[in-house]
Amino acid sequence: MAAEVIPERPQGGGPPLLAVQGLRKTFGGGLPGARPALDGVDLALMPGDFAVVIGSNGAGKSTLLNSIAGAFAPDAGTITLAGRNITRVPGHRRAGWITRVFQDPMIGTAAAMTIEENLALAERRGQPRRLRLALDRARRDTYRDRLRPLALGLEDRLTTPVALLSGGQRQALSLIMAVMSRPALLLLDEHTAALDPRTAEIVMQATLRVVQDHGLTALMVTHNMRQAIETGNRLVMMDAGRIRLDIGGSEKSALTAADLVEKFRIDTDRMLLGH
Amino acid sequence: MPVIDAFLNLIPVTFAQSLMYAFVVMGIMIPFRLLSFPDLTSEGAFPLGGCVCAALILAGWNPFLATAVAFGAGIAAGMATALIHLQFRLNSLLAGILVFTALYSVNMRVMGRSNVALFSADSVFLQISPAILGSVALQILVFGVLVVVMLLALRWFLATEAGAALRVVGINPDLAPSLGINLWTWTLVGLGLANGLSAFGGALVVQLQGFADIGMGMGLLINGLASLVIGETVVGRQTITRQLLAPVIGAAIYYQFVSLGLSLGLHPSDLKLVTAVFVLLTLGLPALRRGGGTGREKLHA
Repeated sequence: MAAEVIPERPQGGGPPLLAVQGLRKTFGGGLPGARPALDGVDLALMPGDFAVVIGSNGAGKSTLLNSIAGAFAPDAGTITLAGRNITRVPGHRRAGWITRVFQDPMIGTAAAMTIEENLALAERRGQPRRLRLALDRARRDTYRDRLRPLALGLEDRLTTPVALLSGGQRQALSLIMAVMSRPALLLLDEHTAALDPRTAEIVMQATLRVVQDHGLTALMVTHNMRQAIETGNRLVMMDAGRIRLDIGGSEKSALTAADLVEKFRIDTDRMLLGH
Repeated sequence: MPVIDAFLNLIPVTFAQSLMYAFVVMGIMIPFRLLSFPDLTSEGAFPLGGCVCAALILAGWNPFLATAVAFGAGIAAGMATALIHLQFRLNSLLAGILVFTALYSVNMRVMGRSNVALFSADSVFLQISPAILGSVALQILVFGVLVVVMLLALRWFLATEAGAALRVVGINPDLAPSLGINLWTWTLVGLGLANGLSAFGGALVVQLQGFADIGMGMGLLINGLASLVIGETVVGRQTITRQLLAPVIGAAIYYQFVSLGLSLGLHPSDLKLVTAVFVLLTLGLPALRRGGGTGREKLHA
């Protein structure tokens, strides 16, 4: 039996930064038997929120992130960012406000380009690409300052092709690239899932730091239960294309894995909570 | 040996010729290597440039203007291929075949017949100095300067914000949109620029040889690919500078090989078969050494 929809969510002052309303998406062109990936999703993020999305495979987490990023148009519903309806704005035009770190370290960076070239590309996100040299001394200094807190030594390897970096290093670079242009919203799509536990921890710590430093609003998908409980001020649980649970504030901070399983009768097999 | 003497005597002429073809090979390299977009349009853009330039010069246009319009016609041809691929999601090879097939009719209309002579007409070379047409050394100088200007311009462009955007579309098309880079824009820019260069090469060739022919693009793409592969083998493609030098060096070497083959008695009509086999071997050998390919497009690699 599925959990009841819990409408309660933290309400700060002012309008939400991100408002998703009635979002629906079915893949497969409406063929008989096609199940909706998103079946009426409502979600509002206040400025400064760090929301973590969990759910089983096929629950619609990635589809939700992809539709917020603009990878495809939803069948129904609206997406509003800072009061502006962006439902029909193509992904490459949303990139100035919404950035993302992908699960696959190979997707988030351009392998054949150097670290500094990747950062230069990210820095111009949301702005026209001019006929001016992409790199100069001042920019390189900025990039070194951005990379240094990672403590991975990338600041000394600006001219190294990204193809020569490890998956963790690429993911950390991808994170720095995502915050280079000071986005309004940061999307994290299981961005530590492909990494070994120690590297995942480094990238997660770096994530928390940049989110705090830049005062970002973030939406993170994870399969990692501990991450879901320890991270952020909001917990959103999806199942079968709907949001089944959305808690925040003190309720979120008091939450334990056992609570989640017991209180909401989650089928642990389907939820992959054992991770 | 008289055969070798004939070849040696031809080296400067062949070198001058290969510098003109370097523009076409560059026009092939840009889509294939920088955009990961196997583009066949140059097979039609090259004669288009030649035919447009010839027709306009015969109509009394200034040769420089005629050459510029030829460049523009090539840009349009490349953009047509890009649009067909992007809008109708047609395979890039098929899009290129459609465009160069259609361009055959266009070229025929532009010239009014299958070939036109420009012997008594004006040309950019006559405008610069009439001595060029009679001096291979001067031709090498003029074409050499043009090639160096092209190389410097492209090297600068690829280091700009715009050039980086173009490159990332070829390197990682999944990443590009999330960097705010529009795949359409930069595919259009890249294919336009590339086929503009091919058409520019066509305009130069026509003005130097003094005639334009509807069949002048036949097999050009394979010659260009062979040149590119040779150039990449010699100078490599690890850096942008090397990747840009490869088409020029490759064209210079390839056309000397062709000249040598013809001096040794190779029949001109057999040349395409030899070149095709050569391209097949160079592109196919790495897969054989790895123990067989996957059947996916090799040229993307």
